[in-house]
Amino acid sequence: MNHLDAELKNLNKDIVAMWKLVIDQLFKSKQAIENFDKDKVCEVLASEKRVDAFELKINMDCENILALFNPLANDLRFVLAVLKINYNLERIGDYSKGIVKLIKNADEPFEKKSLEEASIYGMFDVCLEMLTDSLDAFEHENNEKVRGIFKKDDKLDVVNKSANKIVASLIKHNPKNVLSYLDILTIVRKLERVGDQTKNISEEIIFYLEAKMVRHMKVKEEKKEKKDK
Amino acid sequence: MTDLKIETRDLDLFYGDFQALKKINFLAHENTVTAFIGPSGCGKSTLLRVFNRMNDLIDNVKISGKAYVDGKNIYKKDIDIDELRKKVGMVFQKPNPFPKSIFENVAYGLRVNGISNKTYITDKVEDSIKKAALWDEVKDKLKKSAFELSGGQQQRLCIARTLAIEPSIILMDEPASALDPISTAKVEDLIYELKANYTIVIVTHNMQQAGRVSDHTAFFYLGELVEYDETKRIFTNPKDIRTQNYVTGRFG
Amino acid sequence: MNTKKKINQAIAFNIFRLISLSVVAILVLILGFIVYHGFSAISWEFLTAMPDEGMTRGGIYPAIIGTLCLIAGSMVFAFPIGVLSGIYVNEYLKESWWKRFLRSMTDNLGGIPSIVFGLFGMALFVNTLGFGDSIIAGSLTLGLMVLPVIIRTTEEALKAVDNSFRLGSYALGATKLQTIAKVVLPIAFPNIITGLILSISRVSGETAPILFTGATYFLGQLPKGIFDQFMALPYHLYVLTTSGTNVEESRPMAYGTALVLIMIVLVVNLLANALRKYFGKQVKMK
Repeated sequence: MNHLDAELKNLNKDIVAMWKLVIDQLFKSKQAIENFDKDKVCEVLASEKRVDAFELKINMDCENILALFNPLANDLRFVLAVLKINYNLERIGDYSKGIVKLIKNADEPFEKKSLEEASIYGMFDVCLEMLTDSLDAFEHENNEKVRGIFKKDDKLDVVNKSANKIVASLIKHNPKNVLSYLDILTIVRKLERVGDQTKNISEEIIFYLEAKMVRHMKVKEEKKEKKDK
Repeated sequence: MTDLKIETRDLDLFYGDFQALKKINFLAHENTVTAFIGPSGCGKSTLLRVFNRMNDLIDNVKISGKAYVDGKNIYKKDIDIDELRKKVGMVFQKPNPFPKSIFENVAYGLRVNGISNKTYITDKVEDSIKKAALWDEVKDKLKKSAFELSGGQQQRLCIARTLAIEPSIILMDEPASALDPISTAKVEDLIYELKANYTIVIVTHNMQQAGRVSDHTAFFYLGELVEYDETKRIFTNPKDIRTQNYVTGRFG
Repeated sequence: MNTKKKINQAIAFNIFRLISLSVVAILVLILGFIVYHGFSAISWEFLTAMPDEGMTRGGIYPAIIGTLCLIAGSMVFAFPIGVLSGIYVNEYLKESWWKRFLRSMTDNLGGIPSIVFGLFGMALFVNTLGFGDSIIAGSLTLGLMVLPVIIRTTEEALKAVDNSFRLGSYALGATKLQTIAKVVLPIAFPNIITGLILSISRVSGETAPILFTGATYFLGQLPKGIFDQFMALPYHLYVLTTSGTNVEESRPMAYGTALVLIMIVLVVNLLANALRKYFGKQVKMK
């Protein structure tokens, strides 16, 4: 095998491993909330270090590949995409960390009912789906699957928009628990950000696969562009 | 850390009154690829030719300081130069196959080193050509002249010829500079594969080539070894401003 | 303007053509002249019989044999020595006053008139070494005379071998001797043969060096060994045209001798050329 191919394969392996780690983190944060499981909290915090290490390594590898091999065309897009995906994954890792820290500092479990009312579980599931889909799309170079991720992000936005009202009414009904409810609002916000980051990742995948910049372009516009062609 | 294969200590080299190398301290470990880069006349080819004493063939060369291959001082009086050159193979800038058949080109090194066992030679020739990733292209025309091959194939034949005498070090003096891009890529891939079993030192004018094939890079300027480090360091974060100017193409 | 250029071109071109054609014409004229006059003299008897009746009859057999012996003898002596010296000068000597001295001596040797070689050969081989008037004395003298040609062509042929072949060989651990014997010489050999061809032409045509070293104008029988006197075609030709008993009557035989001499040179050259081709094929340049 060609030296550059070997390096790219290595890079691919690393970013996929990091991706899985980040998905695992998010999954464990969900479990931590569901069961108020402080062990899981520790696991997430521990793996955060590994995510950071991945980020640094991938960053350096990208730099080296760019400097040493001057990749071109799809190779170049791959490296650039990985560079940005790397950054986005690290951010997602940070959000997981933020979420489990809320649990770590909470004295008692969040009310199951309130969590359901704020659609926390649903949001987690959508985020996990989006992340898994994006990884799948990346690994199998499946551009159709990427398109589906954008639609799922829309769901998150809807939940996010209604979150203020829901939390406000929760506080109204039980002002004693206001801090816990504010935490729930924070979690909603963080999950919404996870969705955004995943969307960014998807955009990078499209850039890599189709050499197209879909960032700042509405899905509808893109569809129209497709039709025009 | 793997074994030290090549080392020089305070090596000076003069062509007549001209000092071509100044106090060179260099070392290369086993199974690594080291690239020598630098502007023309900076001494990189001269240093390369120190390691197999090819400079001996030029009149008026004076050397002081020490040069070691496998821990042995190769400029000691009792060194057998032909034996040294068996251990330290060399591939040249211009492909230079002999005007003999493809087979005889590879067999030549064995024959001059006193090997006459026919089956051994036949096997070794095949094995070497295979290692040089040329077998499929020439297996049906081993009796044909080496000059019938393309430039890139000729260069790989020269590499096969070198491999046949089982060197542990291979010196390459701009091995791809006379080749087209596809042949160049083939030679580079070959270098990458050979790294597993050989210590390679390559002189190149092509910075990208140094980046693609080497683990370590040495930058030479006016006979001095200015900077020697991991290739990625040299390419992303060189210490010396001259190195930086050279790798960024802002030289002079 | 354009037409003027064209006319100038045409004129120049035609002058060149005319001149080179006239050279060819002269050559054809000479050959034609000799063939025309000599052809009638050629017969089986002429080629295989001894000269007879004051050289107005009979043949030139001993002269043919003599010339062939001289060619063979001088080449056996001069070719190896010349080639080895050429190798020494070009491969072993570094650029120095000694090399320049050797070169200029070789050139000077080539510039010495052939009659002087004859005198020297007589003094050294015939008298001092005591070979007497003989084939060997004549061959050695001729050999000395063509040595510079062989040395020079060998040198040039070796110089024309691209240095990268030598480097490639050394880099594989070959010694200098192996490099010269197995790589350099095979490549240079076809061109070295050129020197051989030139020398053969000279040897077969020269009269002066053999004049004092063993050529005789008449032999009743063939030489029995290398220490015997001999006849040679060019000298025989000279004798026939200037000092025969009956110059007028032996004139056709003189032309015949000239024709045979030319034919021998031609045949030997063709042979050498075939040799050149053969060695050229041994090195697979293409």
